[in-house]
Amino acid sequence: MSQSLRPYLTAVRHSLEAALTLSNFSSQEVERHNRPEIEVPIQSAELLLQPMHISRNENEQVLIEPSVNSVRVNIMVKQADEIEQILVHKFTRFLEQRAEAFYILRRTPIKGFSISFLITNKHTESMKTGKLIDFIIEFMEEVDKEISEMKLFLNARARFVAEAYLGEFVY
Amino acid sequence: MLHLSANNTLLEATLIELQQAVQENSPLVVDRIVSDFDHTSFHLVTPDNDNRQFIHLSIVTKAWPSLAQCGGVDESQLIQFINGKLTNQATEILPKNQTTQGYDMTVRVDLTKLDDESIHNLSLLKTYVMSFPFQLAFDEFQRLSQQFATLAPGEEESSLSQPHRGQSYRIQYRDDENIYVQPSNDRITVIFETIFKDETDKIFGKVFLQEFVDARKRNRSIQSAPQVLFSNVAPREIATTSMENSDSRFITFVLFPRHFNNTETQFKTISQILQFRNYFHYHIKCSKAFMHSRMRFRVNTFIKVLNRAKFDSEENEDGEKEPQQRRTFTGRKMVY
Repeated sequence: MSQSLRPYLTAVRHSLEAALTLSNFSSQEVERHNRPEIEVPIQSAELLLQPMHISRNENEQVLIEPSVNSVRVNIMVKQADEIEQILVHKFTRFLEQRAEAFYILRRTPIKGFSISFLITNKHTESMKTGKLIDFIIEFMEEVDKEISEMKLFLNARARFVAEAYLGEFVY
Repeated sequence: MLHLSANNTLLEATLIELQQAVQENSPLVVDRIVSDFDHTSFHLVTPDNDNRQFIHLSIVTKAWPSLAQCGGVDESQLIQFINGKLTNQATEILPKNQTTQGYDMTVRVDLTKLDDESIHNLSLLKTYVMSFPFQLAFDEFQRLSQQFATLAPGEEESSLSQPHRGQSYRIQYRDDENIYVQPSNDRITVIFETIFKDETDKIFGKVFLQEFVDARKRNRSIQSAPQVLFSNVAPREIATTSMENSDSRFITFVLFPRHFNNTETQFKTISQILQFRNYFHYHIKCSKAFMHSRMRFRVNTFIKVLNRAKFDSEENEDGEKEPQQRRTFTGRKMVY
C-alpha cells in the first residue's frame, strides 16, 4: 500500500465509524413506513447529518452521507485513462448486477461517483458494524488493485498476441 | 489456440469422411453447409443420387464481386487463377451457368480420385480465392521493380522521391470493411480497414493495435516481420478510394520483398495476412471473456468478506428455535 493511500483509508474508516450510529426510525411523512431517510425524495433537514467528503485527489474521493437511519457511501474509483474508465465501468456494473448478494450495495451509483453503498439500520442490526467498515475499506483497496491488474493483463496479452502474430512472418 | 489455421477444418473433415465412405463402397449422400469467417460459406451437395462419387462444392463470399473486378471486367481471370491453384484430376470448376443457385463458384469433386493433398487443397479454397489480388500485386511488383532497375541513373534520382506505385486492389470482405493491396517498386502495402461497433472494442482494439505497431521495435527477433502502422484516418494511398467513416481504423502492413520472394513464403504471408482481422478480433473477445471470469471470481471473494460481517447464523437460529422447543415439566410443549 502506498504511503498516501493509508491516511486516506484511515480517514474513511474513522468517518464511517462516526457515521454508522444508526437507529430505527419510522417515517414522519407516511404512516407505517420505514424508509432510509437519505433516499426519500422529500428529505427533512432534521433527519440528515452533515455529509463528509474525503478526497485523496480529484479522481479518488469518498462521499459519506449520513442520516438518522441510513448512511450512503459513495466511492469514486481512480480512472487515469480511457482503458481504466472502461474497466471500472464494467467492473462496477458487474457488481451492481449482483447487488442482492452484497446486501449493502446500491444498484446505481449517485451522479459523479463510480459505486454507492447504502447501509441502513437493518444492516447494522444484522451485521457487525466493524466488519462492515472492514469490508468497505477492503473493497476500496481491492478495486484499485483489480483494475490495475486487469489493465496490465490486457497490455500483456496484446503484446504477446502481436508478437506471436508478427513472429509468423519471420522466415 | 493461439493461431487460427488458414484452412477450414470442418470442410476438410467432411471431405475425408466422404472419401472414406466411397473407399468403403458405401458412398454417402451429402447436403451440408459449412461456414467460414467473413460471411463466407461452403455448400457440399451430392447432385446425383445414383452417381454418388461426384459432389459439388460451392463457395459464396462477400468479397467475390470486388475480387472479380481486380482482374478485369469479368471473373474469368479469377476462375482461371483458382483453377491453377486447385489443379488436379479430382476437381473441375463448373462453368457459370452450372453454378449452384446463390453461390459464386462451384467445384465438381470426384471423390474416387481425391487424395490427402487435394483434400487439404480444397479446404484452403477460401484462402485461394482471397489470394487472387495478392498474386496480381506480386506480379505487378515484379514488373515495377524491373522497370525501376532499368531506369537510367539520372532518372532514378528524380523517381526516388516518388515511389512507383501500381494499381491498387480493393477487397471488400465485409459490408463496410475493406482490404487494399497496393504494389509499388520496392514493397507491397496491405491496408486493412476495420470497424469497431462496440465502445469497449474500440478501446481494447486501440491497445492491441498499438502493441502491433510497437512489437517490431521492441522485440529484436521479429525485426524482419512486416512493418505495421495504425491510424484513424485513411492513409494517402487509399484516400481517394475509401469512403470516410469516423469509426474506421486503418492498419497498414508493409511487405518487403523478403516476405514474398518465393511461392512458399508468398502463400504463408497471404494466409497469415488474411487471418489478421479474425485473429485480432478473436483475441479482443478472449480478453473480454477472461476479464469476465476474473470479475466473477473477485465478486465471490468480496461476498466472503461481507459475510464475515454477519452475526453467526447458528447463534441466530438457536435464538429463534430455543423458545419453540421449550417444554413444561411434564413434557408438554410450551406454546406461546
